[in-house]
Amino acid sequence: MTHAPVLKVENLQTRFKSVQRGKYVHAVDDVSLELYPGEIVGLVGESGCGKSTLGRTIVGLEKASGGRVLLDGVDLSGLSGAALRNSRRALQYVFQDPYSSLNERQTVGEALDEALLIGGLRSQHERNRRTKELLDQVGLTHAIKDRHTRELSGGQRQRVAIARSLAVNPRVLICDEPVSALDLSIRAQVMNLFLRLQRELGVACLFIAHDLSLVRQAASRVYVMYLGKIVEHGPSQELYDRPSHPYSQMLLASVPVVDPRVEKLRSAPLMVGEVPSPTSPPSGCRFRTRCPLAFDECARSTPPSYGLSPDHNAACVFAADLYGGKRSALVRQGAG
Amino acid sequence: MHDEPLLSVNNLTVDLLTAKSAVRPVDGVSYSVRQGECLAIVGESGSGKTVMNFAPLGLMPTGVTTNLSGSVRFDGQELIGLAEPEIRKFRGKSIGFIFQDPMSALNPVRRIGRQIAEMAELHLNMSPRSAEARALDLVKLVGISDPAARLRQFPHELSGGLRQRIVIAIALAGEPKLLIADEPTTALDVTVQAQILRLLKDLQQRLNMAMVLITHDMGVVAGAADDIVVMYAARAAECGPVDKVLVNPRHPYTKGLINAIPRRDDPIGSEFRGLPGVPPMLGAPIKGCAFAPRCELAVAACTRIRPSMVPISDRKVSVACSVVNQGKAAA
Repeated sequence: MTHAPVLKVENLQTRFKSVQRGKYVHAVDDVSLELYPGEIVGLVGESGCGKSTLGRTIVGLEKASGGRVLLDGVDLSGLSGAALRNSRRALQYVFQDPYSSLNERQTVGEALDEALLIGGLRSQHERNRRTKELLDQVGLTHAIKDRHTRELSGGQRQRVAIARSLAVNPRVLICDEPVSALDLSIRAQVMNLFLRLQRELGVACLFIAHDLSLVRQAASRVYVMYLGKIVEHGPSQELYDRPSHPYSQMLLASVPVVDPRVEKLRSAPLMVGEVPSPTSPPSGCRFRTRCPLAFDECARSTPPSYGLSPDHNAACVFAADLYGGKRSALVRQGAG
Repeated sequence: MHDEPLLSVNNLTVDLLTAKSAVRPVDGVSYSVRQGECLAIVGESGSGKTVMNFAPLGLMPTGVTTNLSGSVRFDGQELIGLAEPEIRKFRGKSIGFIFQDPMSALNPVRRIGRQIAEMAELHLNMSPRSAEARALDLVKLVGISDPAARLRQFPHELSGGLRQRIVIAIALAGEPKLLIADEPTTALDVTVQAQILRLLKDLQQRLNMAMVLITHDMGVVAGAADDIVVMYAARAAECGPVDKVLVNPRHPYTKGLINAIPRRDDPIGSEFRGLPGVPPMLGAPIKGCAFAPRCELAVAACTRIRPSMVPISDRKVSVACSVVNQGKAAA
């Protein structure tokens, strides 16, 4: 993975006008990330932290108010018309809810055919051949192409949605919570499909999710987002073993375990309160209002990102201590 | 009297008839909850876990004919066969409800305080003034800071976690003996989920209520519940104390579900464990075991004979699987 990233996001910003006049919601604030060919990268955070907006901005569903998105080194903001459309084809989006992302009046065959036609495949014969190939790739039988999408189960629909996004031979898939609408017993099947696509087609995936254990197993690297900013990123194994931002530590510690013997010993919830409004985020470090380690300095300046090991960074003044185990955010707080 | 469970459901079957179709979302399920205990009902979507709790209380969409059979005894009274006005006396009073989505459970155009007080006026015959005072107490009880100011706010001004706390306050307004919580933390983030679960557990113990926790998340069950019923395709697959069922699951479906949860020691990039196949569509009752087509233990008899719930070993855990129960008999 020493070669160039297929997708590079540099200092991306997305802001929305607030209902309050003259105010803006900084949904994505100065975010940079990289995605290399054939890797699955996780993007985790609580709802409202801007992770979906980031995904949508990358594919152009939201307009960036600053920064750049580079696909194979080409800046998408400099393109327009046909050149932009061609580049965008390499960048596809898989939505969370397969019940609203498919046209219920279409059959599976029509849904795929349409995507192939838009992708520029003129010959009907070729499109039929490719439809079958796509169904194979996502593990559906050929007979399903005559069924309407409304007749399918959630898992089947999500497979069709994935097949549709693969129709144009993308290099990058942005997957926004692609399995959270699916039942637990079906989830694993779709997750394994992503692993296979990555292996066999070399598609790179940005996997946006709130389910931390799912991301750990699928992704080689993880970005943790809080209130519009990346607070920590690093290789999955190391980030989950040695989270080095107070937020990552507390987020990981909040995940319930299935073993009642462990859960019964759990002390009071670590994380107090909820995510502050992105309209008026806290000054300095955005996590300081919920952080047990925060002190005066945190309110004054935004902490820079500290390098901890190759490709592991955390934006906290205590990052090195947290990484080295000299400090922890996981101390019991007073009744709050 | 103290020995009788607060809620005891026996062989409950629910048939739903619409103009076009007939389905049986609940097929002969039995369970009970004692005062001061929490029972978790776990199942995937369509397993009947919600209908089972709401149909006997008349909470079904209009345009659907609901046929109930079996028995649901609450606090010494049979609920099945009661007329709507009678059931209404229980709903929201001695049985409180918490729904999944706190935004749609609240009235967006009325102030929080009024929505809580309304319940106290209706069910406890309080005057508006004393009901407002009770609303303030309840908002304090569910751990909301600056309670007096919150009462004057509208639901949209509050975050998801605060809204869910308000929904809990409303559910408690009628002084319920039983709290039915349908996926109370599903719409919330993992950090807020931990706070709400802790609150529910504390309240349940402090007020000595019985609680039925409907969820699909095994992690939620482990922290909050005493007992568990695992539902699959309208039927109960396994039930028993949480520390037995989750630690040592016996039914192949329960085993598969618990096994499917990613673990910390799973290697990165490794295959996800899951269950093969898909759950059956609701429709006519299935003849044999509903899980047989996806089950690795299934034998020919499984598709013919419906397994019954059989208590095993220490009699606290019951499993509906002929293969598992056969093995026990032989051993």
